Amino acid sequence: MWRWPPTCNRFDGAWPKAYHALCMGSQRSTIARRGVFSAKVLENNQLCLDHYQLVLQLEAFPPCRAGQFVTVRCGQVEPIQAPREIQWQAGQLPELYGPELTGRQPLLRRPFSLAGRRDVGGKVELEIIHHVIGVGTAFLAEARRGDEIELLGPLGNGFDILPTGRAVVVGGGVGIPPMLYLAQQLTEAGKQVVAFAGARTRAVLPLTIGSAQPPSTAGWPGMCTAEFAARATPTVVATDDGSLGVAGFVSQALEQWLDREQPATDDLAVYACGPAPMMRAIATIALGRGYRCQVALERHMGCGLGTCQSCVVKVKSGDPADGGARPSVSAHPTGNAAQLTGNSVQPAWQYKLACKDGPVFDAADLVW
Amino acid sequence: MVDLRVNLAGVEMANPLLTASGTCGYADEYADLLDLRALGAFTTKSITLASRIGNEYPRVVETRAGMLNAIGLANIGLDRFVADKAPLLEKLGIPVFVNVAGVTVEDYVAVASRLEQVEAVRGIELNISCPNVKAGGIQFGTDPVQVCKVVSAVRNVCRKNVLIVKLSPNVTDIAVTARAAVEAGAQILSMINTFTAMAIDIETRKPILANNTGGLSGPAIRPIAVQMVHRVYSQVAKAAGVPIIGMGGIQFAHDAIEFLLAGASAVAVGTALFVDPGGVLAIKDGIAEYLTRHGHSRVSDIVGTLELNGRA
Ligand SMILES: Cc1cc2nc3c(=O)[nH]c(=O)nc-3n(C[C@H](O)[C@H](O)[C@H](O)COP(=O)(O)OP(=O)(O)OC[C@H]3O[C@@H](n4cnc5c(N)ncnc54)[C@H](O)[C@@H]3O)c2cc1C
Ligand SMILES: Cc1cc2nc3c(=O)[nH]c(=O)nc-3n(C[C@H](O)[C@H](O)[C@H](O)COP(=O)(O)O)c2cc1C
Ligand code: FES
Repeated sequence: MWRWPPTCNRFDGAWPKAYHALCMGSQRSTIARRGVFSAKVLENNQLCLDHYQLVLQLEAFPPCRAGQFVTVRCGQVEPIQAPREIQWQAGQLPELYGPELTGRQPLLRRPFSLAGRRDVGGKVELEIIHHVIGVGTAFLAEARRGDEIELLGPLGNGFDILPTGRAVVVGGGVGIPPMLYLAQQLTEAGKQVVAFAGARTRAVLPLTIGSAQPPSTAGWPGMCTAEFAARATPTVVATDDGSLGVAGFVSQALEQWLDREQPATDDLAVYACGPAPMMRAIATIALGRGYRCQVALERHMGCGLGTCQSCVVKVKSGDPADGGARPSVSAHPTGNAAQLTGNSVQPAWQYKLACKDGPVFDAADLVW
Repeated sequence: MVDLRVNLAGVEMANPLLTASGTCGYADEYADLLDLRALGAFTTKSITLASRIGNEYPRVVETRAGMLNAIGLANIGLDRFVADKAPLLEKLGIPVFVNVAGVTVEDYVAVASRLEQVEAVRGIELNISCPNVKAGGIQFGTDPVQVCKVVSAVRNVCRKNVLIVKLSPNVTDIAVTARAAVEAGAQILSMINTFTAMAIDIETRKPILANNTGGLSGPAIRPIAVQMVHRVYSQVAKAAGVPIIGMGGIQFAHDAIEFLLAGASAVAVGTALFVDPGGVLAIKDGIAEYLTRHGHSRVSDIVGTLELNGRA
């Protein structure tokens, strides 16, 4: 099992200075550098029933930060070679060619959040944790040490490290991976961090539970998961069915903790990633109590590059969009024209793109 | 040494590879991942007179060997295109075609007239897969009478710009609409746009896309697109001397060569740009390699050289 960092419990702060400045700066801008990279699989670990952790090694990778993502080509997509002779011998089947014929190939790239990064020996190690739900993630689950995987990234905007003394990171299910990376960067920035990790049931929680200190059923943070402990982050675990830690939603565990701790509004920032209802609940709790809150959203993406306009997120209007189109008054009635709907007057919100303007958004800006 | 240059209705291109509308934005989105100057020409996302926010989410869904999209022509609108994007396109150094969409003939004409004054633009591509609100919402591109109306109206205002008409495949006989377009003055045909399609979530019994239907693109449609290009080439375009830009599921050189053999003079890549933005340039090399291997020196040598099997 891979550990962060491999040998010690506390991260030793060996991030390159320039990288640190780039990633920790509160200036919010898309980091311009991105590209297509070939990554070698160092490890592929099954974390729980249906979550796998990939540790990838790259010769180089641009500076990145928690909340950013990469898109992965989940398949051996080999170009059809110049038409070759069909080898046909009596008693043998002819060799067919064409990617269409070789089984279901994922077509589009699959987006995954970065779950961690380590710069070691002049190379970069990236971590991805994924939930097997379909053809692309099933492909990744079968990756073996030494396999080559093609990444495009880093994409999107990561989390801002807000100027508070304390931070709470909340991850639900497959929203946990970016929170591991964020916990890393927050502790690095000297914040006092507490993690909240939620899952439906123990079997699908993508974290390693230590036997020495089991998660508290009363919601007290502890070094109960190997992954967050390796990032010096005490953790509260909640499961919907009560099979581990607090019984109930992770949002309830957070609320309980806030009631107990009563952090000052300017001293705590809340960061979340997970299923939409969870993030909404977290945002309601955090904003309702006056805390700043950032959430990382998931959207079905065509390109991940700000081109296809498929990953739209409704954001309250105010500042003009620099990216996608703004709502505007239609020049024409749209009638029943199915393809031309969507041109209504909606001054209250505008669309932003999750892949370019997000996936991290200020919760207060979102139209849920 | 093979010569990849092609001439489409007077537009000189260094090679026959273009971007398909809507899959490469307005060029700046991909600049760092794909050397656009290495393309033969660039086609923009559809532009409409007024900006459009497009459809509700979800707008895309992947299907086997393809994807459905119902973006709803979300775009920045003509004014912002001219102000913000045209200056960038001017620096591109390759011919730029602007894809134009609208819901009335007047829309198309207004956009086309304005684009006559934009230096960076070399041609306009009419996206006629839009419903005509004045004709009761029937798609321009599915009715030869509507095709004729919109194409001839736009042709009247095109002086500098070459007129490309992008055909919709959602018709019984694409040669009919192709003929209407050519007779009304189309100088280039581009084909095909996406197939109207639907994907259903069987648990909720609802379509996956918010718009219910979307356009199917990607490798899944390639064989149909190839057939349509061949049909239009042999029945309309060849005799009329109108070049075809073939598209639909092109991912590799092999795919592009199929289109060329079927009768396309140039090819466009769409969905494949999402998968491998920089990699599409390998298609050029593959075409050059094929020409060399078959003893040809120019792309035009193989256009439409498909040899049909004799039929009983
Ligand atoms: C910014 C971002 C970060 C993500 N980070 C992670 C992560 O760290 N770990 C993880 O396990 N998953 C993550 N996801 C979700 C992940 O992209 C999907 O689970 C994955 O694409 C599924 O692919 P598949 O082929 O296995 O599933 P299929 O269902 O076969 O996929 C079919 C299509 O739907 C898309 N799709 C399916 N589910 C989702 C989804 N939830 N979100 C977006 N697209 C989807 C696929 O990309 C594909 O195009 C993230 C999504 C986004 C947008
Ligand atoms: C996300 C997406 C957006 C598109 N937007 C447009 C558009 O705005 N105008 C247009 O004429 N065609 C549009 N198309 C159609 C493509 O230009 C092309 O005709 C079609 O996708 C077939 O080619 P492909 O299989 O290589 O993608 C779009 C296609 C996709 C996938
Ligand atoms: S995924 Fe294409 S614009 Fe965001």
